[in-house]
Amino acid sequence: MATAARIDPIGRNDRRFGWALTAPGLTALVLVVAGPLLWTLYISTVSYTLVHPGYDFAGLDNYRGAFAEDYFGDSLWVTVKFVVAVVIIEFLIGFTVALMLNSVTRFKDVYYLILLMPLLINPVVVAQIWRMFLHPELGIVNYVIGLVGVPKINWLGDARIAFWTVVLVDIWHQVSFMIILLLAGLSALPREPFEAARMDGATTLQAFLHVTLPLMRPVIVVTLLIRLIFAVKTFDLVFIMTRGGPGTATDLISYFIYRSAFYGLDIGQASAISVILLVVVLALTAYLYRYMRSLA
Amino acid sequence: MADINLISVNKTYPPDVKAVEDVNLHIKDGEFMILLGPSGCGKSTTLRMIAGLESITSGDLYLGDKRINDVDPRDRNLAIVFQNYALYPHMTVRANLSFGLRLRRQPRATIEKRVGEVAEMLGIRDLLNRKPAALSGGQRQRVALGRALVRDPVAFLLDEPLSNLDAKLRAGMRTELIKLHQQLGRTIVHVTHDQVEAMTMGQRICIMKDGRIVQVGPPLEVYRNPVNTFVAGFLASPPMNLLQARLEPDGPGGLAAVHDGLRIAIPSAYMQAYAAFAGKPVILGIRPEDMYDEPVMGGVPFEARIVTVEALGPETILVAGIDGGSELSARLGRGFAARPGSPQRLYVDPWQVQLFDPETTLAIPRPQI
Repeated sequence: MATAARIDPIGRNDRRFGWALTAPGLTALVLVVAGPLLWTLYISTVSYTLVHPGYDFAGLDNYRGAFAEDYFGDSLWVTVKFVVAVVIIEFLIGFTVALMLNSVTRFKDVYYLILLMPLLINPVVVAQIWRMFLHPELGIVNYVIGLVGVPKINWLGDARIAFWTVVLVDIWHQVSFMIILLLAGLSALPREPFEAARMDGATTLQAFLHVTLPLMRPVIVVTLLIRLIFAVKTFDLVFIMTRGGPGTATDLISYFIYRSAFYGLDIGQASAISVILLVVVLALTAYLYRYMRSLA
Repeated sequence: MADINLISVNKTYPPDVKAVEDVNLHIKDGEFMILLGPSGCGKSTTLRMIAGLESITSGDLYLGDKRINDVDPRDRNLAIVFQNYALYPHMTVRANLSFGLRLRRQPRATIEKRVGEVAEMLGIRDLLNRKPAALSGGQRQRVALGRALVRDPVAFLLDEPLSNLDAKLRAGMRTELIKLHQQLGRTIVHVTHDQVEAMTMGQRICIMKDGRIVQVGPPLEVYRNPVNTFVAGFLASPPMNLLQARLEPDGPGGLAAVHDGLRIAIPSAYMQAYAAFAGKPVILGIRPEDMYDEPVMGGVPFEARIVTVEALGPETILVAGIDGGSELSARLGRGFAARPGSPQRLYVDPWQVQLFDPETTLAIPRPQI
């Protein structure tokens, strides 16, 4: 590359110009993302609370303290349950809908638009809307089910139900993400192996199992991984609808961090947990990146 | 019985695109039938209707005595080889070959044996563990063929299977397909736009144009007696020369086809057949191989000017211009050599010349001598 630059002054000018053009954006990115990230890394190794702000080096104390916290384990467990539930259910519904949409010929765009709309709504707005819908006394959901004789359900206040309520709202919001990606994958599949399968005697189900699924594997894996990474970071729904409650029923890790920092006032420890979350997300992203590279 | 019968079959795509119109064709059990025609003539659509991959708009399709219009392709017991092979990209060659049998839950031993036999027959034994992406075009083609063979269907449908192969491979596969047909004796319906394939492989050719059947018959028969100018100009390469001419009186009670300086006296045996066209315009058809650069018995001489000489090795293709500006292709022996622009006397065999009605483009029937 250096040799090329020496021989190719125009190329080098091009690159310099490129750097110059991207410099402002890059600077902003560094300031807004990299800066706080590095600061968090630093603070996580320091004993800093909003009651006793200070920069005494604490090494890995914050990390150890985090794991010692009773509710940290609970929060991790709730997060894992949530992520698994949401990704699997959204995948199943999404794939079914994508398969159906794939064989639709008329009004495809209309269905597409309708199904896409929830995804376009800001998550905070989604949470607010559903919080109102799900209000035990005044919400429309309980009103409607009351019309058919079902007694009122305390969607967000009942510790046994709240978790699944949040899962359902997230599904309503995000399932179209799956639909879009999987539909794109399905429509890009070559037609001929399916005709060959039909001639070979495959039923629709057999063609699906032996041809569609294997050929869709790259798209499915990428879609699941992307959704997984985003699911781990779910915050808005919990913050608006349940504040992590009732009890710790919906205490997802991102909300746990928020609580530690602004209610527990322990910035140091919250930073430590953030770093742990960052590592997990980075690991998933790295895996996704490597998988996508291997497809090329 | 695996004869295939198409009766008044039509395929119309909405709103009103007639891909296949009023096709009547009876393919006999064990026959090697070629569907030949230019792109867009409806031959692939016809094949796909036989397979069941396209629905039949109207008409009847029979396999043996059974009407199979509404029978799912799965249950027709036919096998198709696609132009692009349509192999399962994620499966090995072995898995590709055995897929049909595995779906039908055949015992493992049977499947292994059958796959082995077919792989041996097609020379792809060494490729069984490879995936399609690691195969060359010719190898993929043989796997596609193998997949059809393993299923042991009552008839094979081939959709331009040789089109994507290079010339040498194509020639080799042509021979292999012919041998396969002799070995198995099954009905084969082969779609192609290549008239060399049609002439060499088919027991009968069905020529299609614009969705309709133009002529059906054994290759040599269709070649010798094309039903119209389209068939005459489509078969053989270079194709039959077609010239605008007039049938003029030639001596007492005689006729000659005249095109500018070219005057060919009609043999008396044909006189009666052509009598109705005396004095009228006709289309004069001369095959390149019926022209000679040396005097032949009964040959009609004419003067021409050489345009191009293509020395192919075993023969030479000459393009010569005649008075009036038309150009003729002639197939001459390997020894022929001449310079473009130089004059050349050529001879035509008048017995082989054919006349067509310019209005209907149909060949004017004449007695077989």
